[in-house]
Parts: sequence; C-alpha cells; structure tokens
Amino acid sequence: MTPIVEARSISRVFPMPAGPVTALRDVSLSIAAGDYLGVVGPSGCGKSTLLHVLGCVDVPTSGMLLFHDRDVGSLADTERSRLRLREIGFVFQRFFLLPMLTAAENVELPQAEAGAPRAERRRRTMELLEYVGLAARADHRPSELSGGEMQRVAIARALANRPRLLLADEPTGELDQGTGEQIATLLDRLHADGTAVVVVTHDPAIAGRARRLLRMRDGRIVDEAPR
Amino acid sequence: MRALRLAWLTVVRQPARSCLGILGVAAVGALLFDMLLLSRGLILSFRDLLDRAGFDVRVVASDTLPFNGPRLEDATALARLIASLPEVEAVQQVRVADAETASGDFRRRIEFVGADPQARPMWTIVAGQDIAGRGEAALVINRHLAETLRLSPGSSMSLTGRCGEAQGAPPLAFTVAGIAEFPFDTATADTVAGALSAAGRLCGRTTEDTADLLVVRSRPDAGADAAAAAIRRARRDVHVVTSDDLVQQFNRTQFSYFRQISVVLATVTLFFGFLLIAVLLTVSVNQHLGEIATLRAIGLTRRRVVSGIVWESAMLVGAGGILALPLGTALSVWLDRILRSMPGVPTDLHFFVFEPRALVIHALLLAMAAIAAAAYPVRIVAALPIAATLRREAVS
Repeated sequence: MTPIVEARSISRVFPMPAGPVTALRDVSLSIAAGDYLGVVGPSGCGKSTLLHVLGCVDVPTSGMLLFHDRDVGSLADTERSRLRLREIGFVFQRFFLLPMLTAAENVELPQAEAGAPRAERRRRTMELLEYVGLAARADHRPSELSGGEMQRVAIARALANRPRLLLADEPTGELDQGTGEQIATLLDRLHADGTAVVVVTHDPAIAGRARRLLRMRDGRIVDEAPR
Repeated sequence: MRALRLAWLTVVRQPARSCLGILGVAAVGALLFDMLLLSRGLILSFRDLLDRAGFDVRVVASDTLPFNGPRLEDATALARLIASLPEVEAVQQVRVADAETASGDFRRRIEFVGADPQARPMWTIVAGQDIAGRGEAALVINRHLAETLRLSPGSSMSLTGRCGEAQGAPPLAFTVAGIAEFPFDTATADTVAGALSAAGRLCGRTTEDTADLLVVRSRPDAGADAAAAAIRRARRDVHVVTSDDLVQQFNRTQFSYFRQISVVLATVTLFFGFLLIAVLLTVSVNQHLGEIATLRAIGLTRRRVVSGIVWESAMLVGAGGILALPLGTALSVWLDRILRSMPGVPTDLHFFVFEPRALVIHALLLAMAAIAAAAYPVRIVAALPIAATLRREAVS
C-alpha cells in the first residue's frame, strides 16, 4: 500500500547553549492508510519530535520526509501549511482550542481556511460534533466544557478537512481514566472509519489499542511490533 | 472564517480586555485630537476674526502691529488715494483713542474706536442701530459696557479723552445708538465706536488728520495680494499687510508656542497610545502562544495568523480612535473655555478649532500607531517556531 508519509533516516538535532541535543537519530518509518500506530517510550526519547516531524510542523536536520511521495523539505512554508490543513489532523494533550470561539467555531476554523462554503462548513461541523457526541455543546466556549469535551472538540477540529493522517500527542494526558477511555474509543472509531492514526502516549491502555507499536529510546526506534 | 472575523471575535468575546484597550486608546486619542485642534486652532480662529471684520488689507505707518506704532499722517488723502486704486473696493480709516467715563466713584477706562460712519462697520450690531447717519454724537457700545453701566440704545454717555500731555480736554456727550460685538474684544473690555472725527475731538484735536490704520477691502476679482501691491506702488512710505501676512506673522511669533506645545504633547500621547496597544497585544500573544502555534499546526498560514493580529490592533485602535472624537471634542470645549478666560484674550478667539484636516491627521496618526504597535507581536507570531512552542506549552 502506498504510504501516506514516509520518514527516511531522519534525524533532528536541537542546538542548545549547553551543546546540541539529538532528539531523533536515523529514524525510518512508513505510515499507510488504515494504520493505527502507537508510539511509546520514556520522557525525552523523541516521541513528540517524531510526531512534529511527521506532521510537518518541524523539519528534520537530516534525512528525508516524504508525504505522498513529495519531499516535505523542498516545500515552502505556505505549501507545508496547506499540506497540514488538508492532509493532517492534530490533537494535543492540552487541547489548544481557541478560547474566544465556540466549539462549533473551533471546528469550523480549518474548514474556512480551506475555503469550504459556509453552508458546507456548518453541515460538516454539526456532523463532526455529533460524531464526537457534542452536538448539544456546539455553542459553548471551551471554558464551559470539561477536559474530555474539549479534547473531543479538538478531535472534531482535527477531522474537519477529512485528513488522511491524524496525529495525537498524549491525547489523554490531561484527562481522568474514564474520560481517557472515551477518547481512546473515539480514536478507535476514527481508525475504523479509515483514518490513519498515530498516537504518542504514556498510557498503556491507549497504546494497547494500536495495531502497531513503536518503542523509542534516546531518539531511536528500538522496537516495532505489529499487534 | 477570515482573519478579520477571527480578530472581531477575539475583540468582542474578551470584552474586559478590549474595553480596557479601547478606553486607553480613546483617552490618548482624545488628547491627540485636542493637540491637533490646538496646533492650528489659534491661527484659524485669528483668521476668522480678521475675515469677520470684512477687510483683507491693512495699512499702517510702520511695520509694528496696528495701534503699537506711529499714526498715519494725512490719513484722509491717503485713504482717497487708496480708494482710487482699481484693485480696491473700499477703505476705512480707523483711529483708536483712550477715553474714560464716570462710573460711580471711579473712572472707567474705555477704548474708543473711531471710524467713518458711512463705511461698512467692523463690528456687528446686536441691539439698536449703527452710528451711520446719526451724527458725531452717536456711539455703539459693547455688551460688557452696556451690562456694566446698564446702558441701552437711547442712553446718554459722557466720555473724556485720556490724552497724555493734552490731558484736560472737556468731556463729550454721546448717545448710545446701539450695542455691538467687536471681533477682538476681550471678556472685560469696554469698547465703544463712534465717528472718526469724535476720536480726535476727545483730545481736542479737531484738525488732526491721522489714523492708526486704514483697513482696505480688495475687489474680489483682484484679491488682497494685488491690492496690497498696488498700495505699495502708490505709497512706498507706508506699511501694507494682507490678512494672510498677519496670520503668517502671528503663526511665526505669538502662536508658535502653542503649536510647539501641541506637537510635543501630540508626540507624547501618540507614543503612549502605541505603548498601550503594543503591550496589550504582546501580552495577549504571549498568553496564547499555544493556541497560535496550534493555528499554524492545523494549517493556517503565517500570513493569516499575522493578519489576525494586525486586524485586532486596527479594531482596538479604530474603536478607540472613534470614541476619542466626541471625548476630545468635549475636552477641547472645556480646555478652550479655560484658556479663553485668561486676561487679554479676545472673547471670540478660540484655541481649539475643528477642521477636517485634523480628523484626517488624527486617523492617519492612529493608523500608524496601530501598525507600529502591532509590529512587535506580529514579529513574535511570524517567527514562532511551531514545534518548539507546542513542546514548551505542553511541558508548561
């Protein structure tokens, strides 16, 4: 199957005052449609950096990242933005919803950026909020939602432009166990509906749901196991 | 959702923060607006007073200001000569005399303006009649004198000249024909106007043919400059100034202090406005770095995120700038009243005068402040490393 994204020997080195820190070392990885990949490992092992590079918000210091066979390193900033907008969905541990927008407006934002007509945006937004079980909270602002609800809105936002790849960085990190379970179930459902999902997590319960599990240490993939 | 709408929602859904910013801009904007009104207010008002007199050229004996230098000799012949020039429509001799009248136990000092009763008056009648056709004993008096001495049209009034070395001239009896407003009167001035000859008679100088100045009205098709040039050609020994010359002269000297003060204060207020918005936006941006990085991560371009900040700045400054106008207008009325109450300031002279130009400059300066204020937060947003910010925000 043609990979959505393919990392070829990528490394990422951060220059620091005390000396360079290598967050990724020679990582190669391929993610295809229908994949459900869990990334685990101790703190500071490079999980989030890998996710950022795969999500085109960071560029590798060396190696090559191909997205649908296009070298991401050769793309201009605007083209990378467009790629993220249309092909990639992000879910973060701390949700990062815009506080002045309602749940519906947060979900509508990437669609508007992609140029979707208003009626289509409204329809899609309500569809997504229903999908995550929050249609009744469409007009609520993030400050009026619980942590689990905010994360579900963030997932709806990530799905707004029907991305092929969903990247989730510790999506249950700020949630209690019960709410985390709900989010994990939602990710399962997304995967079942055809979206490739990559989840960085410390939570064994979440990791256990992935079809492939990547273990990282010191910036390297030390183990990759299908489940 | 365009950047404009996103900025609008940011402003309206954070009302406390937005109100703070808008009120701050309104306060400094009001001061800025007032400084712009002050910078040219005196000049505009002075010009208006000169125009209100209905004459656009003044002829005096020397280059000092009228009434401060020597008098024009042989004034009648000079007035006739000037009136005969094709560029001139009308000439009026003006002679000012110091006089006094008995008011209870003390003598009240009065400025007597002598002019040709048949010519167009330099004052505006507000009650009764003008002196034209009423003989040498007719007077018009200003409102202050009328109210203080309880005089009205038909009242009698006795004036004695204060003539320096010629002290001792007998008092002259006058009849008040009307009450008038004089353009350059101060709030406490006691001014009367009567026949030119009466100004001489106050000091017993019945044969003296002098004038403090001649005021000239140019023909509309010739204009003040042409009339002034013609007078200079006809009589090289007199000093001729147009209203424009006078305005420029005052602009360079007497009024320049106000202009300089207004420039300094306008610059300071503009800088405060800039600082206020810059701080507000910078704090706001720094508080929402995670959200901004997320916007970039989910695919909004750098330009879109940056334009959101610029729009937000424009909205805060725009709303504050609009609110500044009524606020500044009210403040200018108040300040104008205070300044005009200073002794020696003509009642009709205003320090703060509105002109459309001030509105345009106000808008331009605030727009510049908005752009400058947005520059630093925009730089933060434009240079924001997405991944590093997300990582930092997640850890914090």
